[in-house]
Amino acid sequence: MKRRDFIRQAVGAGLIHAAFPRALPAAPAGFRFVDVTSNAGLRFQHNSGAYGGKLLPETLGSGCAFLDYDADGWQDILLVNSMDWPGHKRQRTTMKLYRNNRNGTFTDVTQAAGLDVEMYGMGVAVGDYNNDGFPDIFISCVGQSRLFRNTGKGTFRDVTKASGLLGKQGLSSSAIWFDYDRDGFLDLFVCNYVHWTAETDVFCSLDGKNKSYCTPEAYRGDTCWLYHNRGNGTFEDVTATSGIFDSSSKSLGVAMLDYDQDGWPDLLVANDTQPNKLYRNLHNGKFKDAAVEAGLAFSVDGKARAGMGVDVADYDNSGKPGIIITNFDNEMIGLYRKTGQAYDDVAMQTGLGAASRNTLGFGCVFFDADLDGLLDIAVANGHIDDTVRHIRGNVGYAQPAQLFLNLGRGKFRDIAGDIGGGYDLPKVGRGLAVGDFDHDGDQDLLLTTNNGPAFLYRNDQLSGNRSIRFHLIGTKSNRDAIGANVRIFFNGQTELRVVRSGSSYLSQSELPVMFGVGKQDVIDRVVVDWPSGQSQEHQKLKTGKAYQIIENKGIKEIFQF
Amino acid sequence: MEKSPPQRGPTLGLYLGLIVTILAVLAYAGYITRQFSGLRKLQGEMVDRNRKDSLQLLRIQNDLNSLGLAMRDMLDASEPYPLIAWTAQFDRTRNDLSAALRQEENLAEATRTSDQRRYLTQSLTQFWDACDRMFSQAQNGQEQAAREQIRDTLQPQQAALSSAVSRLLVQNNEGEEQAAARIAEIYDRVQRQLYYFLAAILLAIVVTSLYMIRYNRRIFAHVAELSLQRSELAQKLIATQESTLRHISRELHDEFGQVLTAIGSLLRRADKDMPENSALREDLQEVREIAQTTLNNIRSLSQALHPVLLEEAGLESTLDWYIPTVERQTGLALHYEKSGQAFPLETSASVQLYRLVQEALNNVARHSGAKEAWVRLRFQPASLELEVEDRGKGFAPPAGHTGIGLVAMRERAEILGGTLKVTPIAGGGTLVQIHIPRERAETHGE
Repeated sequence: MKRRDFIRQAVGAGLIHAAFPRALPAAPAGFRFVDVTSNAGLRFQHNSGAYGGKLLPETLGSGCAFLDYDADGWQDILLVNSMDWPGHKRQRTTMKLYRNNRNGTFTDVTQAAGLDVEMYGMGVAVGDYNNDGFPDIFISCVGQSRLFRNTGKGTFRDVTKASGLLGKQGLSSSAIWFDYDRDGFLDLFVCNYVHWTAETDVFCSLDGKNKSYCTPEAYRGDTCWLYHNRGNGTFEDVTATSGIFDSSSKSLGVAMLDYDQDGWPDLLVANDTQPNKLYRNLHNGKFKDAAVEAGLAFSVDGKARAGMGVDVADYDNSGKPGIIITNFDNEMIGLYRKTGQAYDDVAMQTGLGAASRNTLGFGCVFFDADLDGLLDIAVANGHIDDTVRHIRGNVGYAQPAQLFLNLGRGKFRDIAGDIGGGYDLPKVGRGLAVGDFDHDGDQDLLLTTNNGPAFLYRNDQLSGNRSIRFHLIGTKSNRDAIGANVRIFFNGQTELRVVRSGSSYLSQSELPVMFGVGKQDVIDRVVVDWPSGQSQEHQKLKTGKAYQIIENKGIKEIFQF
Repeated sequence: MEKSPPQRGPTLGLYLGLIVTILAVLAYAGYITRQFSGLRKLQGEMVDRNRKDSLQLLRIQNDLNSLGLAMRDMLDASEPYPLIAWTAQFDRTRNDLSAALRQEENLAEATRTSDQRRYLTQSLTQFWDACDRMFSQAQNGQEQAAREQIRDTLQPQQAALSSAVSRLLVQNNEGEEQAAARIAEIYDRVQRQLYYFLAAILLAIVVTSLYMIRYNRRIFAHVAELSLQRSELAQKLIATQESTLRHISRELHDEFGQVLTAIGSLLRRADKDMPENSALREDLQEVREIAQTTLNNIRSLSQALHPVLLEEAGLESTLDWYIPTVERQTGLALHYEKSGQAFPLETSASVQLYRLVQEALNNVARHSGAKEAWVRLRFQPASLELEVEDRGKGFAPPAGHTGIGLVAMRERAEILGGTLKVTPIAGGGTLVQIHIPRERAETHGE
């Protein structure tokens, strides 16, 4: 070996060693995952409709949701499905609604609930838009999206037309319920991906002969939609007048956050190959995009990345909302931390960057997997191109899901391989949601795959860590209390959760908020800042319990775990 | 051949080399600093500025393209939203475009002509005026007129602006290429100068080294010459000393010995002529005894200075006489051993060997404090070996300081082509070993 080569190698080795220090020895995770999909009775198969035509929506997958549709306090499951393309009919597929049997199993009640409807479904947003105490379901679709009103009797009624949502066609993706004007009625925001119809599908090819899936650059962008809830069961399209209209966006994910902490909900939209949008609420029914000033529009090198899923939470207990955005492979996850008025992408420093370099992330959620009081991150990964392995040897179509454990001091470590349940087995992951379906005091994970099954991973605690859970009911605020800030205080520590709809990718997690508190038996107090502007405080609450807090009325224990 | 010693030390030459090297380094450092500051200036003022300007132009171009795409969508009949819906999108782009233009103007101050600046500003102003009119028409329900405004005015203006920005980008690109060429030129120049510098340093090192080598060779030659001269001098001294001693010894023996012998004979005759018991006879008797004692002393001194025995009977017999004499004079117990097949020795060799024994025993008596000593004479087939050993405290001089006696002994051994070795004995004492090649001992002569 020449001396020059030796020096180069030695320097190289030194740099590599400096940039990638040896992985920390794996500590016991404190919890494990058990794949209970089959035992719980979830027999779901997503149908992308793929028949060889390589139509764009086939790559996008479908979403999932934890919701308590019968208001019995137990989280039920909704799995969105697509369908065969016209002219290529092979089977009938519909979304599935599974009622929680309260014993770890579920019953398929789709037909009984009236949701046995064929549609090319994409995402789901759950919210009680008419404040009747029963959650309603919005399904974003290719073509006409649907709104299903919960009758309160275990059934749903398609009110798309009656609510005024009929007529808008699009390739809709994620959606979110939020009360942007704080009038107590949930409004609806729907993301649209690109201007696409089966008729205008573009021929793209990797080899010049065979058709392949196109990247979004091949299509025109499409504006997202904002529907104002009039409070009488109907909606008004305020896209144009609210400043949301943007024909260049190619949106896939949306999350609510209070970016400027003024008490008014803002929106963060993850765009694919276009700058992300941060719609700041101007309090007058209008929004202004502040993504560039906030440092969220582009990557640190000024590139518009392929944003997919997005979630917002105070992951470092700083009192400020942190943001995660999943991106294409070779682009890395964006993990944003607020410093001053703007956000910094801290993915590289925290360990998420390097760990997500070769993954294509979709669904992403903040949740406290080990109940240590620090929010961890789950990510569903999977490529859009089933031939990617031929092009990039180190990137597969099916990819392992990841679980980044929050180690504190701004560091995360992927422990997916240590927690069992086959969570880290490669799959073409898309939707991701969390919810405590078995009332054991920790949040379980629901994951969907493209053209494949859904997975339910039960979270089993091993460390004896405890939690406390709050189910909020608004009276002056919207009944789901979406947008409410819940803070708990104990031992000089503060944790913040926000009641949120949508988020992740095409999916929605349970509405109740859950706090991990370690070994703490009692918390000093809980403070709820309702969307109406009112604040409510309760003191000395035992952990290991779920409480119901009703706006301006009080608190009561509903169950313990 | 008589070589002249070096006239001066190497210090001056080395100082000169050092000064030349330092001057070369300083000159090169100055040159490099100047080149780098020029490079920095070029990069800072031209390349970086140019790149930043290009980035702003790309931002402007991107904004113009966004407007182009938006206008394309606005004219698309399938779009369900009224034209007024694009207001926010246009406002956003307008704000970004204004900010980009402001930054671009600052960056491009030096390279842009006033015509270019004016064209860009005026064109954009006209574009936004037309936009405002278009949105105003759309607001008033004149969608068709607004669309025509887009098609007939805004889209051509946008295209013209886009072309203008493209031209500026090309201009920047050319400027960047020129700057890159100049930078490459500077790097080449610096590289060339670096080679010159290295060659100069190498030359300085080679010249200094050659100078040092030459100087050292001269020093060594001079030292060897001095050593030879010293050796010759020592041998001359020894020869002179021997010759003088032999002469004095003969003079003493022959002249004074015969005079004193004659005096003794005369006194003896006179004594016979004197009457018995006369006072004068007693005096004469006394004078005769004094003369005899003086004669004996003269003979002893003559023998000591140069034993006549050496020339008459050889070394062995001389030692046979000399060693008991030393025992008697010094009180040392001497053990004399002789071995091997004796061969005749040249008188001159015998003299040197005798002197060596004499000096060695002298050292033992004066410095060792020993009560006894050993003298060994060995006739080897090819050499003659002489050893003097004592078990006293030794007489080896301190390290680095050789006594004149030892120097003379070594010179005597070297005159005979032999070696002298002085070895301390473990536990105290000294062993002096002299080794003379047989042919030198046998054949050496004057």
